Amino acid sequence: MNTELPSSWCRARYVVAAVLCLLTTLGTLPLRELLDLANIVMIFLLTVFVAAVWLGRGPAVMAAVLAVALFDFFFVPPHLSFAVADGQYLVTFAVMLAVGLITSHLGALLSERTTEAESRERETRALYQLARDLGGALTVGQVAEITQLFLATVDMDVTVLVADTGKSGSTFHEFHEYGSHELNDLEKGFARTAHEKRTIVETDSLVGMGVAIVFLPLVAPEHVVGVLALAPRTDDVDRMRSLRPLLEAVASLVAITLERLHYAEAAQSSELQVAAERLRISILSSLSHDLRTPLTSLVGLADTLVQRQPPLDEGAIETAGIIRDQAHAMHHLMSNLLDMARLHACNITLNKEWQPFEEIVGSSTRLLTALLASRKLEIGLPRDLPLVHFDAVLLERVLCNLLENAAKYSPPGAPIQVIAGTREQWLEVSVGNDGPGFPAGRMDQVFDLFTRGEREPAVAGTGLGLAICKAIIEAHGGTIVAENRPGGACVRFALPLGTPPPSMEEEEAP
Amino acid sequence: MSETTTRVIVVEDEPQIRRFVCDALRREACAAIEAATARQGLDEAADGKADLVILDLGLPDMNGIDFIRDLRTWSSVPILILSARSAEHDKIAALDTGADDYLAKPFGVGELLARVRALLRRHWHGEAKPHHQFGEVEVHLSRRIVSRGGAEIHLTQIEYRLLAVMLANSGKVLTHRYLIHEVWGPGYADQAHYLRIYVGRLRQKLEKDPTQPQHILTETGVGYRFQS
Repeated sequence: MNTELPSSWCRARYVVAAVLCLLTTLGTLPLRELLDLANIVMIFLLTVFVAAVWLGRGPAVMAAVLAVALFDFFFVPPHLSFAVADGQYLVTFAVMLAVGLITSHLGALLSERTTEAESRERETRALYQLARDLGGALTVGQVAEITQLFLATVDMDVTVLVADTGKSGSTFHEFHEYGSHELNDLEKGFARTAHEKRTIVETDSLVGMGVAIVFLPLVAPEHVVGVLALAPRTDDVDRMRSLRPLLEAVASLVAITLERLHYAEAAQSSELQVAAERLRISILSSLSHDLRTPLTSLVGLADTLVQRQPPLDEGAIETAGIIRDQAHAMHHLMSNLLDMARLHACNITLNKEWQPFEEIVGSSTRLLTALLASRKLEIGLPRDLPLVHFDAVLLERVLCNLLENAAKYSPPGAPIQVIAGTREQWLEVSVGNDGPGFPAGRMDQVFDLFTRGEREPAVAGTGLGLAICKAIIEAHGGTIVAENRPGGACVRFALPLGTPPPSMEEEEAP
Repeated sequence: MSETTTRVIVVEDEPQIRRFVCDALRREACAAIEAATARQGLDEAADGKADLVILDLGLPDMNGIDFIRDLRTWSSVPILILSARSAEHDKIAALDTGADDYLAKPFGVGELLARVRALLRRHWHGEAKPHHQFGEVEVHLSRRIVSRGGAEIHLTQIEYRLLAVMLANSGKVLTHRYLIHEVWGPGYADQAHYLRIYVGRLRQKLEKDPTQPQHILTETGVGYRFQS
């Protein structure tokens, strides 16, 4: 019924214009003898002007023509005839028609402008209200609902499509749909195009089929957050076009709102992650404390027995010594397990500093003094090794694990080699022994958790050592490999060299 | 030992650990005073007669760092920290606050007594000696002469200053921050790599095998310790 109203009103306006002209004629006829013809022309022009302002351009033009005809017929002598006695009146007709047309044009323009200003004001107020409503929205569902309610006032159904940015930022995966009807594949295709090309997609050919025909990309400052798919409830394509600016404004408001929600969500989830990480770290550290305390007592009390005055008999001293060593071994195992748990937590914080690699060679061999006492250590470190950026505590653990393995899996007294050097942009370190080597065919598994070189565990250990080394080296952006070489086994790892900070040279003066 | 008994306060909440630490100290003819809480420990130390405080960093009633800060406001008694090995930042904070040395749990009685003896020696005899000898190196601080195996060794100013600070604190763990502050002065705190480069050079000049130093030792993640 909305569409019928304008056309009937259109016809009626012409009738009204004609009636106005007739009324003017009837009103002025009795005055024909009293007024000068020039004044009667004025009255007709007024009528045309009124028609222009109230009724619009078409009826005004008709009124102008009708006014000239009526004026000629009733007022210009000879009366009641279109004939003109005096040729001068032709000028009057021409001017009257021209003035009528011009005023009708101006009047119509004026009323059009007024209508336009009013509708624009309404639009602005509606957009302002929409912005306020969206500002209060807390979920994407609410955003979609508010948008739907708003666009229903202009006879449109809308589906809000939100791009899933969960996995990898800009690359597009799937849309989440929020709307009254589920989009079909064709519509989804259009939506995808609008999203990828960042342009408005319109498909006039589908008008009236109850499907979405306008797809507006939701362009937020950072990225395209989704698409608005609009399905008009009417077939009025022109009206659709005239609404374009409004729709674009709606799209940009929705885009900004969705982006705001996205960041709020991201902030909240990172807060959660930090809290979970903190919890994990505090559990690990309290576990580490609680396990270490009884082990410390065990080691200390066993030591006390060994050193007791007067001394215990030899068997008891030996037993106490074994208890102490086993407690140490337990501590070692526990440290490895806790380290592994810490390293497996998604983000380990490396305490990286620029330092010479030599330092941790010295400190780890000192930590393993007892184990390496019977070994000949062959250390090959060039004097001019550059500084490397690494976490000293973790790298020391790598070197200790490798040295321990080298000692464990080689005959007593056999030498152990630690060799470092640079190759291209890497610091390469290898730790080797003269043992039986890794079992052939299982080289790539030795770094897996709980894998050990031999199937039958002849030597105590858990198989955690190399897995920890791998985790630490990889956290540093390096690589680690195990290999057999003639007469022994060897583990090699490489750390990226990077650019060390400039060193300060002092003036030579003792 | 001195004519009066050596008094050592052991602040540790775990009774079994406290027991073996005190037993070991008593065998060394020390008077071991047991304290299960930080408050008790501070009370025991209040008379100012203690020669050494052994402090567990994980006490239930007070943060170990606060304990050290409290004690350091009025006492310079040596403090030996007992701590978990993996908590480097705790150790650094304790050392920077005024602790003298640390021992990682679990530790043997032998290690404990070695640390205790070294700290007591420093406490009684002071550290300001003009002449030091370690390995085949001799240092005459009064004459600024360093020699190795009889031959004089040339040290740059910074190398010499670094060596002097280490000798003055022999046996003590020195954090990176402390050494940088002492040798380079304030404003170099974020230039830890200078320190590491110079320690490396000192080792090359003074150690028999710089890759396995016997005197200028690395305390990984914490700092250095000089041991004669």
